[in-house]
Amino acid sequence: MWPFDLVNWLTLSIPFAYLFILIGSLSVFANLYRKRQAAKIAHLEPWFPPHLQRNIYLTLLHQENPKVPDSILKAALLRRATEDIHRIVQIRNAKQALQVLLQRGSVGDDLWQRFQRAEKEIEEELRDVVNEANAFAPNWGTTIFQSASEMAQNAHLRERISEIQATGPAEKEWWEKRRTEISSSFMKELDEEKSTPAADATTKSIPKIGSDDDAVIVEAGGPTVNAGKAKNKKKGKH
Amino acid sequence: MSGTDYNYDEQGQFFPYFIITLTTLVTIPVTYSLLKPSKELESTATRIASDFKPEHADIIDGQRKKQKRRERRLKRFLFSVGGWLTIAWMIYLMAVTARTIPKIWDPYDVLGVSRSATEKEIKSHYRKLSLTAHPDKAHEDPAKNITKESINDHWVDVTKAFKALTDEEIRNNFLQYGHPDGKQSFSIGIALPKWIVTEGAGKYVLLLYALALGVLLPYTVGRWWYGIQRLTKEKILVASAGKLFREYDNDQGDSGVVGVLSSGEEFNEVLKGHKADNGLSKLEQRVLADGSDSPVNGALTKKDRQKLEDMDDSSRRKVLTLLWAYLCRIELDDPVLNDEKYEVAPIALLLNEAYTSMALAYGNTKAVLSAYHTAQNLIQALRPGASPLEQLPYFSPAVAKAAEADRSKTHLSIQEFMRIPAAQRKARVVSPGLLSESQYQSAMSVVSQLPVMHVEKAFFKVIGERYITPSSLVQFVIKSRFIPPGAVNIPPINEADLEDVDPEEGDVEALHAKKEEQETGDTIQPPLAHAPYFARDHAPRWHIFLADSKQGKIAVPPFTFTTFNKPIIDESGKPTYNMQTLKMQFGAPPQAGSYTFVMHMICDSYIGMDTKMEVTLVVEEASKAEEMEEEEDISEPEDDTIAGQMRTLKSGGIPGASSGSKPKKRRAAVQDEESSDGSDTDGDVNSESETDTDTDTDDE
Repeated sequence: MWPFDLVNWLTLSIPFAYLFILIGSLSVFANLYRKRQAAKIAHLEPWFPPHLQRNIYLTLLHQENPKVPDSILKAALLRRATEDIHRIVQIRNAKQALQVLLQRGSVGDDLWQRFQRAEKEIEEELRDVVNEANAFAPNWGTTIFQSASEMAQNAHLRERISEIQATGPAEKEWWEKRRTEISSSFMKELDEEKSTPAADATTKSIPKIGSDDDAVIVEAGGPTVNAGKAKNKKKGKH
Repeated sequence: MSGTDYNYDEQGQFFPYFIITLTTLVTIPVTYSLLKPSKELESTATRIASDFKPEHADIIDGQRKKQKRRERRLKRFLFSVGGWLTIAWMIYLMAVTARTIPKIWDPYDVLGVSRSATEKEIKSHYRKLSLTAHPDKAHEDPAKNITKESINDHWVDVTKAFKALTDEEIRNNFLQYGHPDGKQSFSIGIALPKWIVTEGAGKYVLLLYALALGVLLPYTVGRWWYGIQRLTKEKILVASAGKLFREYDNDQGDSGVVGVLSSGEEFNEVLKGHKADNGLSKLEQRVLADGSDSPVNGALTKKDRQKLEDMDDSSRRKVLTLLWAYLCRIELDDPVLNDEKYEVAPIALLLNEAYTSMALAYGNTKAVLSAYHTAQNLIQALRPGASPLEQLPYFSPAVAKAAEADRSKTHLSIQEFMRIPAAQRKARVVSPGLLSESQYQSAMSVVSQLPVMHVEKAFFKVIGERYITPSSLVQFVIKSRFIPPGAVNIPPINEADLEDVDPEEGDVEALHAKKEEQETGDTIQPPLAHAPYFARDHAPRWHIFLADSKQGKIAVPPFTFTTFNKPIIDESGKPTYNMQTLKMQFGAPPQAGSYTFVMHMICDSYIGMDTKMEVTLVVEEASKAEEMEEEEDISEPEDDTIAGQMRTLKSGGIPGASSGSKPKKRRAAVQDEESSDGSDTDGDVNSESETDTDTDTDDE
């Protein structure tokens, strides 16, 4: 046929082969790259450790023989809600800081992806808890998180109080020791004074008063004031 | 290509020029960057003189040398040496190859007359030549290689030259084109030897080209890109940054921060392979021993200790235990472990920088303070809650305890210790079993060189304004002096130094001078931190930030100062007590009112030298400020003229005497309610005010 006779097929195939190789290699690369990225994202570490309370609740819920009483299930659900409160507080606090750090380039993109996934997860989790609560009692879903957050706060307070109280014995021991030290040194000085002649004592006591004064003041006002401060300090730190 | 032909450089006389140009383009910048003295703070600062050698000084020095080797830029060195060798070789080639310069046709030369010859002389010379050089007259001489042809050629040349100098037309041709026959064809040369494109070598050249473009270029770009992606802005690994952020908690104290830092991936590079848990049991036995006198017990809170013991990852457990061994200065009786102990600290400091930036992003004052304190602890190799006195050479915990005379549960800072009368101070620590006389003297000489920043005044102002109006750009000005602890005869403050006078708006000269001062100033560096246990050189940095004490949040993020505008010590090594001016700028709140901030000034290298101070920012309504200004304009006209302002400027701005309007100039009153240098963890040192200092030091 007329037009095709003139075509030199061999030379024509070269540009096509070139195009084929170029486009083919690019698409293969893009494909592989996307797959690898997706696999990487799928293997990202979860933000939170396994949700123990949720697992306990679900196990109890699905236990058939013997059936778990409702009161225990409700308690387990409340515990689960409390843990959710902890997590959501953490997420909310971290969000703004993480955005700032991401913009500045102080953290990687991975972390942001993990964070977003955790955010979605916690949303689903909250919805699930609300649904479960409504199944137990109508409208409990609207108040369950309120009670849960109160529980969380209460637990937090207790923890702090016990922490502060735990420092008590050590502080007490220290101050007792200090008191005995001071009183013994004081007694020693008194003994010295007694043993020396009276005439000498009057001249000698003048420089001593300065140093004694110090000790007496510490003993009188020190323990209460400083103990209070020490507690303040602990409070400040935790 | 029709008219012109590309000539290749057959004799190889041009390509050295080509290559030399390319090589110098690359080599000279590389060499410059190699030889340029480092501008980093650590390499330009002086040192605090001390003859103190800590235990294992050889290990610490070894670590320092290792770091220097790492920074030596060997690749750059090799590259520039290679570049210079190539250049030298090319110069040699240029010198050796005979140059075939195409001879420029010169009619004077051909005729053999001088350039100044007149036409008459030329004609007579031509006639003389025609007697000898004409083909009819000249004789062939095979011995001299003179043939008939060469004679003919020569004669044609001579005729041409003669015509060029005498014939009008040919002369024009010669002047215009350099040739008596008119325009000549020209050629373009390529400064490459021909063998590059000949059949045999062409393939390889093409292959080389493909390799450079198809392999080397993508590889370099990829390496650069992924290298950038691997590190964060703080130059730590992205994975480490993620872990730090995950473990961040507002409420963990100093010891908690140390625990978080141990999660860094950087440690895995140091403790590779079998090093990851080698000697872990021995290490744990030494560091976490249950003895009640172990320093770790005092520093590590119960919670953090529990965390450490519960760690599954043995390499992380080792890192954290090493860090605690370093912070508590525990002897590990094993050269390898000791070496690792000193190696982890600089890495932890780097990670701590990233942690600090995270704490700043959260904006929690307590967490930021914890992070800064951890930096201090790492640099000084001291556990959290240790006595600041242990920063001094030879001061062991026992010596520090004796120095404090066991007064209370809080520690004395170095400044407070130095306020104790000299005799009493010495009596406390110099005794058998504690310090010897020479050790005490060496410690005191270090003390006298420590740069302790003492804030004299802090106030807010807006440049060129009398009041701080809402949303204006406020300057927070801090006037401070470096006063070494225990200094005597501190000169009184010059009141003029405390003023921060703005140049007048119209006063271009003053503005210019000010600008110059800002540009040339700020180059004075305090000496490097005295940190004998830290295996790097570290220049001290001062961080200043304003915090809102009610919310526990940071109001103005930290400004970091490393250099100052006035000399700190004079030639003889004595402190100058110059007033340093530190400025930080931020936007004023949008509402009028009085805002109270707590200013924190923290030196990242020394423990117990933090300053905490309350400052009040008074923001006036914009309308009110305008009114006041107008009133003043009417009542005090003479002071608002430029001449009046100049006078006050010249007289040094002594308030009251020369300018009535001066006190009004700064509306933002600052109340120095509390100026407590030293341990800010507890605010009970404020009873010792500056006046006490003076009387105490006078006793000495």
